[in-house]
Amino acid sequence: MSGIAFTDVTRAFERKGGAFQALEPVTLHVPDGEFVAIVGPSGCGKTTLLRLAAGLDHPTTGSVMVGGRAVTGPGPDRAVVFQQFALLPWKTVRQNIGFGLKCRGMSDAEARPLVERYLATMRLEGHGDSYPHQLSGGMQQRVAIARSFILEPEVLLMDEPFGALDAQTRIEMQEELIRLTAGQRRTVLFITHSVEEATYLADRVVVMAGRPGSVREIVDVASLRKAERWAERPVEEVMELDSFIRIRTRLWRLLRSAGAHRDDAATHTLPIAS
Amino acid sequence: MAAASPLHRSLLGAPVIGGAAVVGFLIAWWVSAKSFDPMRIPQPGDVWDAAVQLATTGYAGGTLAQHTLQSIMLAFMGFAVAAGTALPIGLAMGMSRSAEAVFGPIVAFIRPIPPLAWIPLAIIWFGLGDGAKIFVIWFTAFVPTLINTFTGVRTVDPTIIAAARVHGAGPRRMLLDVILPGAAPLIFSGLRVSLQASWMALVAAELIGAFFGLGRVLMTAAQDIFPGMIVVAMAAVAVCGATMTWLLGVVERRCLPWLKVTP
Amino acid sequence: MTMDMLAKSDLRPVRRRRGPAVGPGARLTLLSAASIAFALGLWFALAASGLLPKMLLPSPWDVAQALVKNIGVPFAGATLQQHLLASLGRFSAGFALAVAVGVPVGLMMGWFAPFRHAFAPFFETFRFIAPLAWVPFAALWFGTGIGGPILIVFSGAFAACVINTYRGARMTDERLIEACRTLGAGNWRLIVDVLLPSALPSIMAGIRVAAALGWQSLIGAELIVASSGVGYLIVQGQGSVETPIVMAGMATIGFVGLLIDLGLRQIDARIGRGWRAGA
Repeated sequence: MSGIAFTDVTRAFERKGGAFQALEPVTLHVPDGEFVAIVGPSGCGKTTLLRLAAGLDHPTTGSVMVGGRAVTGPGPDRAVVFQQFALLPWKTVRQNIGFGLKCRGMSDAEARPLVERYLATMRLEGHGDSYPHQLSGGMQQRVAIARSFILEPEVLLMDEPFGALDAQTRIEMQEELIRLTAGQRRTVLFITHSVEEATYLADRVVVMAGRPGSVREIVDVASLRKAERWAERPVEEVMELDSFIRIRTRLWRLLRSAGAHRDDAATHTLPIAS
Repeated sequence: MAAASPLHRSLLGAPVIGGAAVVGFLIAWWVSAKSFDPMRIPQPGDVWDAAVQLATTGYAGGTLAQHTLQSIMLAFMGFAVAAGTALPIGLAMGMSRSAEAVFGPIVAFIRPIPPLAWIPLAIIWFGLGDGAKIFVIWFTAFVPTLINTFTGVRTVDPTIIAAARVHGAGPRRMLLDVILPGAAPLIFSGLRVSLQASWMALVAAELIGAFFGLGRVLMTAAQDIFPGMIVVAMAAVAVCGATMTWLLGVVERRCLPWLKVTP
Repeated sequence: MTMDMLAKSDLRPVRRRRGPAVGPGARLTLLSAASIAFALGLWFALAASGLLPKMLLPSPWDVAQALVKNIGVPFAGATLQQHLLASLGRFSAGFALAVAVGVPVGLMMGWFAPFRHAFAPFFETFRFIAPLAWVPFAALWFGTGIGGPILIVFSGAFAACVINTYRGARMTDERLIEACRTLGAGNWRLIVDVLLPSALPSIMAGIRVAAALGWQSLIGAELIVASSGVGYLIVQGQGSVETPIVMAGMATIGFVGLLIDLGLRQIDARIGRGWRAGA
């Protein structure tokens, strides 16, 4: 049981000359094992939402629950993957991957076989003793993902994880992520700017509107993905499917109107039945 | 700057905790001082008495005001000599590679010798009077201002220099309107270090040999085994040092209104 | 305070690509050599001219002789190397203590706000007390024991260690801290594995400044209360107007200070050579 439940969540930030409302009441449920992507214009509060689930920030009002427990702070049950990788530059790849295990009090000897396994899973063999700056961006992000997955978190929170990568690497990483999440169903909250990425990866795509942030619409992709077996086909093939293009175009339109007709959005902050 | 520790952002503000810590320290001193040897740890009352004595009847040949004035005047004179020599040389070194080649090696030779190590030589050369102290302060305060002036000039944005040249600025304009203001932030931080160093050097020089001044008060109190007076003199040294630094900060903000000065 | 700034700025010339490539370099080297030669020559000439009495200005040759002689023949109760050893022992103890206390205190101030608030008033007060102003208490509390010099060196070196560590800790990338918190890192692990390595360049710069200030404070203290050490040597030289001894002592002090800084630079360059290359 590790669903994420935002209930009537708001977040206001103190600014000079009053408070700035980043989120108006948002209610959103991500059921256990589902992959949800959030897209929305800059400043729509999508990162705030993710930080609330991570416990790196606290709601002004409302509640954030993960796995039925209220979130009070960060914890290794919820792994976060950041856009800027956030690897420790002074630790080798091995040490970075094993960092969370060490925080749990695991000895090096105990951690070693696990770290080796994830080095292999993430195709990082031969780079175990390299420092992050010696790796390409894609490899650095694989290290960051490995360091999260090794803790076997119930929930994966990804904040534009592939945003800093070049297009080629990005597609490889997307396939990689599908492979990883297919093996072990996990609840994933995935934030992205890319509509294609959201369509390709997510079971449902949440479109947010900005200032203050709110949920505009939720688009279901899961049924199509299952019916057309997207997970078993290469990306370029999936992206040429009519169904894929239809969903992508719909998301595009929603995003545009989310930016333009902000006032409509208020009526769409509906709770989503799971 | 972002708070490094959001978890530990305290509910109580800095003044509350800081004030509480100071009060706690004073109480601890008050309570524990009685159990220590009064010849080693002064009691709060001793310090108060010493402060009153120094302020009114005087000690070690003068009152607090006289000693302080003497020390501050000397420190400022030494600082003025140092700044007056280090600034032009630093500017010259910054603007001309030849000047840098001439002065650089000499500075590099003298720099490793700690300024306080000049004190015995200064006493041989100038005796125990003011001359020796000004000499020592000069050596102490010279290097920080020189290096920062030099670095400041060298790090003036080259595009600004080019722009001024394009607009036909002569050497005088260039110096006054481009190079000096551009190097000013670093120059001021050099001056601040120099001023603090001047003060430290003066206290040291007065401890070693002086007829007058706060260092003299310290030394006399040490010889008389008068811990209360030692504390008073140390406090006076700290207050003067802090005030001088603060004053230079005020001057800096006046001179550089276009900068956001971080304290 | 700008101690860190000073530590970074050096007299290294800034390279400007302008003009022909070979000519000016050689000319500048020549100028530097001429400058040194002129200064030395002036000293020799002044000393030889007899305008100033020998006790005021001995020639460089006299100073060199005094230096060599003092290695074999004791002055002020000990040979030069014995004095130096005494000073270095005191310095190492006080300096090690300042680093061992200052760095953790700086890290704690950087991480725990209540600690920072409680410590700041004392720190702000004490850093304005000239290190040598502790000499009277050093004498009162420790007599002629090693505690006195350690206190002086400590009070000279402590502030630079604390300030630079604190600054470095506060500059730590917030994202790294957050990432490690989500991985389950507690306070201790964050301080040791994130704040400390992140602050390392700043800490090392602070330690170098601290060493210079500590060394100078010790020499100052030895001028006042000591019965051995290079500071004592030069003040005794002054007392008996042995100016060559004074100058030889000064040269030794400067040279050793330079060596200390060189050693610390070496350590700085070695720590984290692997990861800092690309950082």
